Amino acid sequence: MSLVVESIAKRFDRFPALKGVSFSAPKGCFLALLGPSGSGKTTLLRILGGLEFAEAGRVKFEDIDWLSLPARDRRAGFVFQQYALFRHMTIAKNIAFGLEVRGRRHRPTRAEIARRVEELLSLVQLEGLGKRYPSQLSGGQRQRVALARALAIEPRMLLLDEPFGALDAKVRKELRHWLRHIHDKTGITTVFVTHDQEEAMELADLVAILNQGSIEQIGTPADIRRAPASEFVADFIDSNAQVRPDPVVAIFEPRSARG
Amino acid sequence: MSFAGVLPATRWRARSALPGLGLSLGFTVFYLSAVVLIPLAALVIRPWELGWSGFVAEVTQPRVLAALRLSFGAAAIGAVVNTFFGLIVAWALVRYRFPLKRLVDALVDLPFALPTAVAGIALSALYAPNGWLGAPLMSLGIKAAYTPLGVVIALTFIGLPFVVRTLQPVLTDLSRDHEEAAATLGATRFQAFRRVVFPALLPALVTGAALAFARGVGEYGSVIFIAGNLPMRSEIAPLLIIIKLEEFDYAGAASIGVVMLAASFVMLFALNGLQSFTASRR
Amino acid sequence: MSTNLTDRGSTRPRGATDDHPLARTILIALGACFIVLFLVLPLVTVFAQALKNGVAAAMDSIVEPDALSAIKLTVIAAGIAVPLNVAFGLSASWAISKFDFRGKSFLITLIDLPFSVSPVVSGLVYVLIFGMQGWFGPYLREHDIKIIFALPGIVLATMFVTFPFVARELIPLMTDQGRDEEEAATSLGASGWKTFRRVTLPNVKWALLYGVLLCNARAMGEFGAVSVVSGHIRGQTNTMPLHIEVLYNDYQFVAAFAVASLLALLALVTLAVKSFLEWHYADEIAAIHKH
Repeated sequence: MSLVVESIAKRFDRFPALKGVSFSAPKGCFLALLGPSGSGKTTLLRILGGLEFAEAGRVKFEDIDWLSLPARDRRAGFVFQQYALFRHMTIAKNIAFGLEVRGRRHRPTRAEIARRVEELLSLVQLEGLGKRYPSQLSGGQRQRVALARALAIEPRMLLLDEPFGALDAKVRKELRHWLRHIHDKTGITTVFVTHDQEEAMELADLVAILNQGSIEQIGTPADIRRAPASEFVADFIDSNAQVRPDPVVAIFEPRSARG
Repeated sequence: MSFAGVLPATRWRARSALPGLGLSLGFTVFYLSAVVLIPLAALVIRPWELGWSGFVAEVTQPRVLAALRLSFGAAAIGAVVNTFFGLIVAWALVRYRFPLKRLVDALVDLPFALPTAVAGIALSALYAPNGWLGAPLMSLGIKAAYTPLGVVIALTFIGLPFVVRTLQPVLTDLSRDHEEAAATLGATRFQAFRRVVFPALLPALVTGAALAFARGVGEYGSVIFIAGNLPMRSEIAPLLIIIKLEEFDYAGAASIGVVMLAASFVMLFALNGLQSFTASRR
Repeated sequence: MSTNLTDRGSTRPRGATDDHPLARTILIALGACFIVLFLVLPLVTVFAQALKNGVAAAMDSIVEPDALSAIKLTVIAAGIAVPLNVAFGLSASWAISKFDFRGKSFLITLIDLPFSVSPVVSGLVYVLIFGMQGWFGPYLREHDIKIIFALPGIVLATMFVTFPFVARELIPLMTDQGRDEEEAATSLGASGWKTFRRVTLPNVKWALLYGVLLCNARAMGEFGAVSVVSGHIRGQTNTMPLHIEVLYNDYQFVAAFAVASLLALLALVTLAVKSFLEWHYADEIAAIHKH
């Protein structure tokens, strides 16, 4: 097992965000953290990225004591929900950023950086857009820039926070397959956060379902579908699929809404 | 989703992935203390060498009282004038289109940008008995310069941007829905303004007036040239501080300073209270 | 304001939220009168009085040695106070907008404090500390260090009155921008300094320029606070506004207004650049004007 998370706990004020979360995942795995809002999934992802700090617990990744590394030394490619692209830099500069800020000894030459940027632009299918600014791109394009920027540093681990959350349904479906494709091509251990069970079940090798700061179940999509570990899990993987009665309708047609 | 703003109960600060809090906060607090807090503390401590009764005797001298009355009174009148005209100017700038609108909009900030001494001599020349405005006023029997009226004029000039700039964003954000609703319910334009628009503007109006008032109370440069500075009549409190300093009456100067400082603190907290009150009702 | 008159002048009916044309005309006229009386006329007066005896006379009063030394002192004082307040503004807004700690809103209130203090009181506080009978007065005299009635006092008073300008522009904007971009930079391996210089600073550059502009205008024009600490020594500790006062009280009106017109020009340039920034970079400086 390459990623081992052991009893991670974290409180905000007195409200526990994570109450001792443990799981492990093999190298190169594509792991989804699935849960409703407030379940602690984003907090867990940010802890893995070094942007938030656990009060207790350990994380081992490829035999490194992961949490002892500061964020900037982890080489964890983090893709933010709102992308967090540098708005005053071109797309090419955004992608090159992680390489350009390296210390002189580890920094690739300018030509090498330019080559890598071109390579990444074509990987995310944005050839020719390097000179544009983030504000000139569509949501789906920004998403891909964010991913290219994270991939530029040759990350040891890829962390994605609701990567498709801000996109419309059509673009979301397109990008979903494309993301899986990129993962298979690079083989980087990837953790992504989502509240969309369909997305998680279709995309991931492993799905961890979180509820109120604890893991309810972790397993392959098939396992979870076959044997939900709790009522919550059964409910949650089911609920997104079926359309709920509209509450306004329910007022006027109480019987039909009950079914 | 981030939980920014919520602190663990046990620490004074949340741990962060970004560096530099210690350095930046350290410099901030040091500079703030050195430039602002310690000097202000010196002011607050100074009058107590006179003792409480000495302090009271100092600030209740007739000349001091007259100066404080003038500074506060003229600032209050200036604020009222600005509330009225500021509302008109802000309304016109937000709701109407007219020539030179952008120029007028930019010009509203002139009292912020123009050094007070420059404003002071300009107003003084303008309202002097032989000035462009002073002469016509004289023929009407009104003496503006070198009287308390001159102080009010200067403080009106100084306070104008506060009211306009506080009102403008509120007016811009004010949705026309409510006015339209009032119109469909049969209200006249004036009724719509008085009963729908005006109540929505009131907090900003009060805030703007209070800011203008607070600025006016402490104003010095634009006033002293036009005021004439007659003790007991047209001498403002800040000028009296300077006079006491020139007489090396540090404790006396500090006493007046403390009264003015206390007044501005009261204003500051009242405004904060007003702001959180209106925010809570929104 | 008239109420139920129908709009006879135009064929199109008046919109539900349009004011009656008469009301509109009266309001614009009232506002215009007020603006002309209180803003335009004083401004025109400055230049008219300065040029009363011709351009040459005005120029003479500007290049005269006392005036030049006042200009020099003003530039030096602003040249020290403004950069220090910029450093403070950047550091305060970095701490306040990018981190969570206790007492933050109290700190913000304290930063705004100098705005609500009378300029004369701002000068007074330094006299109470460094003046002849101030806390350090005897010590300073013994060691022959002059702060009051000298450049350091003028710089300190200027720093005090212009203290919040930069911080006030930056704090709301940087709080609005959040910390996502900085976190992204950190996770991409950037150091704190590189994150600040390459990500934070470029994002606030127009707001920073805006703050510097206002800070500088106030620094160069400050009168009350500087008046208290300067001692009015002609040719030595007179800044431009103080020089104007001296000239005016000497009945040298043309000279006073000539120097004043320089400051008025500075104010106009400030307003022009400020308006330009507001029109073209509204989103990048606007956080403060939204609340």
